Amino acid sequence: MANNFHRLDRRRFLRGAGTALALPLLSSSLPLSAATPDGESNPKRLACIYFPDGVPMPLREDPAYEDWSWFPHGGGTEFKFTKCTDVFEPVIQDVTILSGFSHPHARRVHGHRNADQFLTAAKIRRDVTYKNSISLDQVYAEQIGDQTRFASLVMSTDGGIGTPCAAQTLSFNRMGRPIPAEQSPKRIFDMLFVKKDADAARRLAMSQSALDEMLADAKDLRGTLPAEDKERFDEYLNSVREAEVRVQKAKEWVHKPFPVVDQALFEDDISPESPRLYLQSMFDMIYLAFKTDSTRVATYQIGRENGAGVSDRLARAVGFNLAHKLTHDTKFPGGWENLGKYCRFLNEEFVRFATRLKETPEPAGTGTMLDNSLLLFGSASSAFHLSRNYPLVLAGGKNMGFKHGRYLNYAGANPMSGAWKGGIEPYQKEITHDDQRLTRVFVTMLQQLGMETESFAGATGNFPELLS
Amino acid sequence: MIQNQLTRPLSMNCRVNAKPHGYIKRWQVALFVGVCIFALNSTALIAEDPRDQGTELGSVVEDESNDTEVNVPERPDLQKYKTKIEPLLKWACFDCHSEEHSEGNFRADQLDPDFAGGNDITWWLEVYSVLSKGEMPPPESSELTDADRIFIVDWLSAEIQKAEKLRKSSGSRSSFRRLTRYEYNYALQDLLGVPWTFADDLPEEASEDDGFENNAESLLISAKQVETYYQLTLKALQRVTVRGERPPVVYWGISMEEAFQREKKWHDDTVESTRKKFEDDPKEQSSQLERLNRQFQASNDRSHYSDLATGMRAKFEWNYRQAKYAFEASDEVPSMPATRSSFAVVHPGSREALTVDLGDRLPDVGTMRVRIRASRAEGVTQRVPSLQLYFGFQATDQGRSIKRVSQRDVQILAPYGSPEIYEWDIPLSEIEYRNTYRGSMKLGQQPNPSEYIRFVNSTVGRSRDDSESPAILIDYVEVAAPVYDEWPPRTHQNLFIESDLAHDETAYAREIITTFMSRAWRQVTPAEIDRKVELFQHIRAGSLDFQEAIIDVLATILASPKFLYVSSGEYESRADQEVARLPQAELAARLSLFLWCSVPDETLLKLASTGQLTDPEVLRQQVNRMLDDPKGSRFAQHFVQQWLKMRPLEYLSPSRGENGLDEELLESMKEEPIALFADMIRNDSRILDFVDSDYLVVNERLASHYGIPGVQGNDFRRVALPDEFNRGGLLTQAGLLTMNSDGEDSHPVKRGVWLLTNLLNDPPPPPPPAVPEIDLSDPEIAKLSLKERIEDHRDHAACLSCHQKIDPWGIAFENYDALGRWREQVDGKSIDATSVLPNNISLNGIAGLKKHLAQDREEQFVRATVEKMASFALGRQLDFGDRAEVTDITRRVREAGGGIRTLVICLVTSDLFQSR
Repeated sequence: MANNFHRLDRRRFLRGAGTALALPLLSSSLPLSAATPDGESNPKRLACIYFPDGVPMPLREDPAYEDWSWFPHGGGTEFKFTKCTDVFEPVIQDVTILSGFSHPHARRVHGHRNADQFLTAAKIRRDVTYKNSISLDQVYAEQIGDQTRFASLVMSTDGGIGTPCAAQTLSFNRMGRPIPAEQSPKRIFDMLFVKKDADAARRLAMSQSALDEMLADAKDLRGTLPAEDKERFDEYLNSVREAEVRVQKAKEWVHKPFPVVDQALFEDDISPESPRLYLQSMFDMIYLAFKTDSTRVATYQIGRENGAGVSDRLARAVGFNLAHKLTHDTKFPGGWENLGKYCRFLNEEFVRFATRLKETPEPAGTGTMLDNSLLLFGSASSAFHLSRNYPLVLAGGKNMGFKHGRYLNYAGANPMSGAWKGGIEPYQKEITHDDQRLTRVFVTMLQQLGMETESFAGATGNFPELLS
Repeated sequence: MIQNQLTRPLSMNCRVNAKPHGYIKRWQVALFVGVCIFALNSTALIAEDPRDQGTELGSVVEDESNDTEVNVPERPDLQKYKTKIEPLLKWACFDCHSEEHSEGNFRADQLDPDFAGGNDITWWLEVYSVLSKGEMPPPESSELTDADRIFIVDWLSAEIQKAEKLRKSSGSRSSFRRLTRYEYNYALQDLLGVPWTFADDLPEEASEDDGFENNAESLLISAKQVETYYQLTLKALQRVTVRGERPPVVYWGISMEEAFQREKKWHDDTVESTRKKFEDDPKEQSSQLERLNRQFQASNDRSHYSDLATGMRAKFEWNYRQAKYAFEASDEVPSMPATRSSFAVVHPGSREALTVDLGDRLPDVGTMRVRIRASRAEGVTQRVPSLQLYFGFQATDQGRSIKRVSQRDVQILAPYGSPEIYEWDIPLSEIEYRNTYRGSMKLGQQPNPSEYIRFVNSTVGRSRDDSESPAILIDYVEVAAPVYDEWPPRTHQNLFIESDLAHDETAYAREIITTFMSRAWRQVTPAEIDRKVELFQHIRAGSLDFQEAIIDVLATILASPKFLYVSSGEYESRADQEVARLPQAELAARLSLFLWCSVPDETLLKLASTGQLTDPEVLRQQVNRMLDDPKGSRFAQHFVQQWLKMRPLEYLSPSRGENGLDEELLESMKEEPIALFADMIRNDSRILDFVDSDYLVVNERLASHYGIPGVQGNDFRRVALPDEFNRGGLLTQAGLLTMNSDGEDSHPVKRGVWLLTNLLNDPPPPPPPAVPEIDLSDPEIAKLSLKERIEDHRDHAACLSCHQKIDPWGIAFENYDALGRWREQVDGKSIDATSVLPNNISLNGIAGLKKHLAQDREEQFVRATVEKMASFALGRQLDFGDRAEVTDITRRVREAGGGIRTLVICLVTSDLFQSR
């Protein structure tokens, strides 16, 4: 482990400071203008990071309960981290742990297919054609995506979109369609800092011609309209003009030089075969993208559900073989500790990322980057593939009003826990505890990010307890 | 927008709504229709014979509209108001509706008697409505004599008509609007020549509760949407064009004998290894072998591979792992084998489906042609089974997708022993989710990259002892992809037309652009063509090739507001007409959007360009042609779904179980109103058939839901209906009753509101903000029957005024349960479905309701249907100024026999339709 740290630090050192990251141009929304943050208007960033398979939840009477439970013991400000989560200790004033939250439509869904809904809260039925809905990050990207070169950065270890009910991306657009995730740090790096997309420039030019054409036709048409129809039609004219402004801004981005970055850093393509280094590199990408204000929205799915992908091998970082198997092996002696160690590894890397943001003063604003970045870290499973009581960490965003240093324990007295030894699975059991709707947290997140909204995925209500 | 005087909040109901805009609009319709009710119908309070009175009043309307000079509207008769009317109102109304007691927030003492010039026309319409229907003054406390009532009503009627004329000549209603999402999609389909999904990326219309989706006022647009139009037309044009050489075709020729032999071999292998394993234990060996063989021989009731030669039956097995079941593809055209002795016997139900795994070689685009050789089961002569085709894949335990790709069920008619070929053409690009592991994973690896097709026997019901087997016998499956009957395909040639000019890029571009534009835009000028040619020249240098540049230009033609917007253009004013008439090209567009939900075809454009489209005879012919065209089914679908507000059915999920809402039933429920409407259009059936009819248009699943024997198959058809079934018309359709239930039980209030709002176009006011909930924890209330509870609820003063208008209508439906099934009892108590309308007319259950509507409200019903259809046809809400036209159309329809197709023709040939 120590070796890995060392190696990464060396590479990062080489990398130098200024760099950025992001997504392909001409994705659904077009980037608009460079951010011009003054001290008054800090950027507001959002990163959502997901890991599959759930977390260790030994029974209370299990010897591993004290040390290897994922959730801390206690609640409020009186709680104690375990060996699985004590890595949060140094940053506790920037972190809130949540338990007892989930999406109502997912509560009876098997843990092998709940990642699709983590950021969307959609009702996905298996008996009809698959249909998802827009994810949290994309709701926000729609609002501020045009402020930066890239509307959002969508990443996953397994890459692409996966399949319905086994997504390999956390992000879904307004139509509920999956947005392909990028998996190679090198490609992300190149896209963000190195390679001009010549085709994008050409297509933008064409978009502009097309909009010019629509505007000309519109003016023609308007000339023939009676007065009241002219009024109705002006909405269209304004929309075309607005679209033109967007294309113009996008073109400016295309021609704008990239932030200066030391390219030597990413000449090697780091793969998940070097798990810890890979994970660090992916987090680095978000860090760099944020730091250079290339985007303000990022998602990273550390692994797809149910193994069966390269992400499953990330467990090799801590000496195991396959990550998903660890959740099944909790029924064997030492199983909780093994799963706990793997989760601790993920926690460690998340904390490293958060710490890095904390250590970086906001480049053109006030506070640290972490104060202006809202991070959601968690999974849609808790005890053995149970899609309830999600293990969640909310970090950063102090400048947006978030209050930390607490464990908001809504899981109730006896959350479902223990290993699965065959027979009926936890997710098939009756719902005995009424979880909080996670969409309430989402709504508060969006509100503090500056959006005027009262609901998410059709569910109204927020969660002001998160705020100071 | 609509008139100022209509925008004042109304509250003869209970409250001032939190959302004033939608509220008011609803009321505009409500009041408007309230008036209509009077014209056709009247009540026992006014005259002894309602119909006499109705006819008399109706004739007044007609006479006036015929005799009055159009261009010299009369001034309001204010003198008469002061001397004769106001004193009567003061005596009858002011007690409750003046400064001291402004009940319902309404003050009769402040009404402006100048109907057209003042701001109170909506109030006056409501007064007119409640007086004429006998709802006000309250019957129990009223001392208003019938003579006085008639006197006021006559005055109101005359003044309203004068106001109509004034309003009409100041006409400010506009249908100018963009195409809706579904219209845009159909327009692209018709222009590009393929029925594919093109416009899914557009946002859904924010349809208003009370309007049609094509309502001009509610069709908004945003910058994002503007970008989307261009992007999606570009994508559409790329999808229908091709590049390069014809791609090679991949084939699968799969005989069920092969499938059976494969099962058999795996079985034999297992038998062999088991035999070896228990070599030393003959007893165990024989019991194990017996078990294996027993397992292998499938039950005859379940789907199986059948081998006639040996009598063996092997179960259908399939799982995705290691792509073990994938059949190998070939680059050669397979030759169809002669019929042999093995079949796949496919029983009804999705769990009994035949899965044919095709591996990972299906291309992304192009047509997948699936052919099967199939027949019915042995000895079957009556029963006609049907088949559906699905496409799907499973990559991992949870990662999977399945989608029905056949549009209509295929009926298998071939008798046993003489199988026939059945065929599907599936555009692969229309399948939204494909297996993303194709190409990156090899067959046999995990995640699994293979894809399958699945045959589902969709025949309703299982075989029973007393009926013939619904099984389908398949002995051969053939798949080829991508299949192009021509290369380049027809859709490509439609755009890149054959030309002598092809060697000269600019000249060829001009030809392509001219041809396309004159089809896509309704009118096109040489200057407009010139500009697109200039655009082509401008972008050609920066484009990859000629084809790309042309597609870019064509995309701007389809994204243009001149394509997207309709009912625009300069309006011709004719000296002898009081209203501006639509230009003929826009008339063609309006007609086409009305009946095809799409842009006009060449025939319509030609008639428009030669000025023939206003000829009533030509219009009649065109309406008939359009309704008989397959595209006419779009009218039935979209009009009916929106008219009857069927969206809630989309939110229902099928449930399993004995008395559940199974998928076939739900699907049939959604189709029944549309099928009835389409059938009535075909036969020009009486509009009154919506109220009651001696026939049904159903399929087998619905027929069995209704308990009607002898209907077979999933197609809808007209079936004669014996009286004792308590069905007929729209009111008793299972889907509409289900939609207006609460999932557990009937919901009389929903049903009443739905009937009033949609079928009678007389919507009740919305509930007040603080509705007192029915308190079920109160034991006194809990033991009441539903009807009693509603009556109790109605006793609250706040609820009374609305609910006495709603509830009696809904209670009449009480004999239908939450899934629209007939019932005589609930929880052992007999159903009491009798009720009394606010004007004291008694309804005796559904039969009474139907009788009342058909006899006493026939004209109101026809008129409401005219209004709904006119609103859909015009793409805007009707208002006060349209009243006289609607009256006239209603009269013409009724005189011509009251048929639904007649209505369409009367509407299309009316001034209302042909003017802006």
